[in-house]
Amino acid sequence: MGADDAWSAEIKRLPFIPDSDPLALDEDLVERLLDGDLRPDQAPAGYAEVAALLAAAAASPTPAELDGLEAALAELRAVTRARRAIPRATGRPGRRRRVRLLVAVAVCGLSTTGIAAAATGTLPDPIRDTARRIFATADDTAPTPATTPGRQPAPSTGAGAAVGTTSEGQDARPAGVPETTAGTRTSNDDPCRASKVGNGADKRKKLKAGTSQAPVEAAGDPDNVTSKCQKSRPDGTGGNAQKQQPPSNGHGRGPDGGPPPDAGSKPGKGQAGPPPNSGGGSPEKGRPIETGPGRT
Amino acid sequence: MIGPSFPAVLTAAAGGDEDAFGVLWHDLQPRLVRYFKLIAPGAAEDLASETWLAVIRGVGRFQGDERAFRAWVFTIARHKARDWWRRAARKPVQELPEAGLAEPLAPDDPAAAVLEDASTRAALALIATLPAGQAEAVVLRVVAGLEVKQVAELMDKQPNTVRVLTHRGLRRLAERLGADAGPRARRAV
Repeated sequence: MGADDAWSAEIKRLPFIPDSDPLALDEDLVERLLDGDLRPDQAPAGYAEVAALLAAAAASPTPAELDGLEAALAELRAVTRARRAIPRATGRPGRRRRVRLLVAVAVCGLSTTGIAAAATGTLPDPIRDTARRIFATADDTAPTPATTPGRQPAPSTGAGAAVGTTSEGQDARPAGVPETTAGTRTSNDDPCRASKVGNGADKRKKLKAGTSQAPVEAAGDPDNVTSKCQKSRPDGTGGNAQKQQPPSNGHGRGPDGGPPPDAGSKPGKGQAGPPPNSGGGSPEKGRPIETGPGRT
Repeated sequence: MIGPSFPAVLTAAAGGDEDAFGVLWHDLQPRLVRYFKLIAPGAAEDLASETWLAVIRGVGRFQGDERAFRAWVFTIARHKARDWWRRAARKPVQELPEAGLAEPLAPDDPAAAVLEDASTRAALALIATLPAGQAEAVVLRVVAGLEVKQVAELMDKQPNTVRVLTHRGLRRLAERLGADAGPRARRAV
C-alpha cells in the first residue's frame, strides 16, 4: 500500500489499539459537559450531540413551565399572615417561661444558701434575730433552741453563778451539745415544768397564762407548787428531768453547737444559770428543785 | 442562578415579599417541573406545587447559600415524588384512554427528535430512557445545577457512585445519539 492510498488524517483515525474506547471520557470532560461549558463544536468526537442534548435539557423555560405562580403566591400570603400572627401569640409565653425559670432558679439558690447558712451556723445576726422573732410569734410555746440556754431563768442558783459551773448542773450536759426543744414541749404537757418555765423572766410573757397558772391553781397557793410537783414524781427526785430538760451552761450554744449572738459572749451574766431542773442532775440525791414563784 | 443578590432575595421572600418570592420561583420552577417529568411523569405540575407549598412553609427556617437552597428544594421535591410513587402503588391501575392524552409524554423517537429540533421535552425524554439512577443523576447535575456532593446526599449515595452514574449516563446517551446519527448521516449523503 502506497502513501497515496490514504490521507494521513484517515490513517490516524484507525484504531491503533483495538481495545481503545472512542467514547472514553475523563472526569474533567464529564464535568465540563454537565456544567454546559462545552459547546457542541468543542465537544470531543461522539459527544457533540450529547452536549446539544444537555443544553436543550437546561434551556430557558417555556411558558407552560411557568404556570402556577399565582397559586404559589396565594399560599405565600396565607403563610405570611399566619406567621405574623404566631409570634404575638407565642412570644409572650416564651418570655414568661424565661422569667419563671429565672425566678425559680433565684428562689432555689436563695433557699439553698439560707439552709446551708443555717446549718453551718453562719447565718447573719440580723437574719437570725428576725427568724427568732418570726418563730416566736408563730408559736409562743415553742421558743427556739438557740434562745433557750442563754435566757433560761435561773431558778435555783440565781444570778452571779457561773453558768454551767454550778455544782448541780456541771454534769447535766457538756457544753456545745445542741439543745432541743423537748424540754420546752414537755413543759407544756407537765404543769410543774410549765410552772418552772413560766417563772423565767422572758418566757413568762410568752407562755400561755392557762398553762403557767395551772399548777398554781391546782396547788391553791403558789408556794405549794414546788412541793406538790415534788410529790407527784414517782421517785421524788424529778423523774427523767435530766433526760428531758437539757441543761444550759449559759454559754448559749445554738442548735448547731455554735455560740449564739448574744449569750455566748456573756457567760454567767444576768439570769443565765443552770437549767431549771439542774437540781435533778443527780436524781439519786433527791434534791428538790428550787423553783417556784418565790424565786421570781 | 440568582447570584450575589440571593441572600437578600431569600430574606425578603421569607418575610413574605412576593416579588422576591417570584424571583426564586422563576429560577427553580422550570427545573422542578423538568425533574418531576423525569421521575414522576404525569404528575410534574402537581408535585411542583406541593414542593412550593413546603418551601413556603419552611423558608423562614432555612439558612444557607444559593446552592444549599437548591439542594434543599430538590430534597423536598424528591420526597414529594417518593410519596407520590407510594400513593400510586396503592391505587388500582387504571388504563388511560389514548385519545384523552393532550400530548404524548414523549416522542416516538426521542433521539431523532433531539437531533432535529433539540427541544427540551425531547432531551428529557431521551434522558428518561437511561436507567433510573443514571437519569436522575444527570438531571440533578444538569437541570437542577447541583454539585456531585449535593446529588450524592440527595440520592443517599457516595459521591463516587454519583460520578460513575453520570459518566455511564453520558456515555450511553452518546452511544444512542451516535447510533441514530450514523444512519441520518448516511441518509443525508
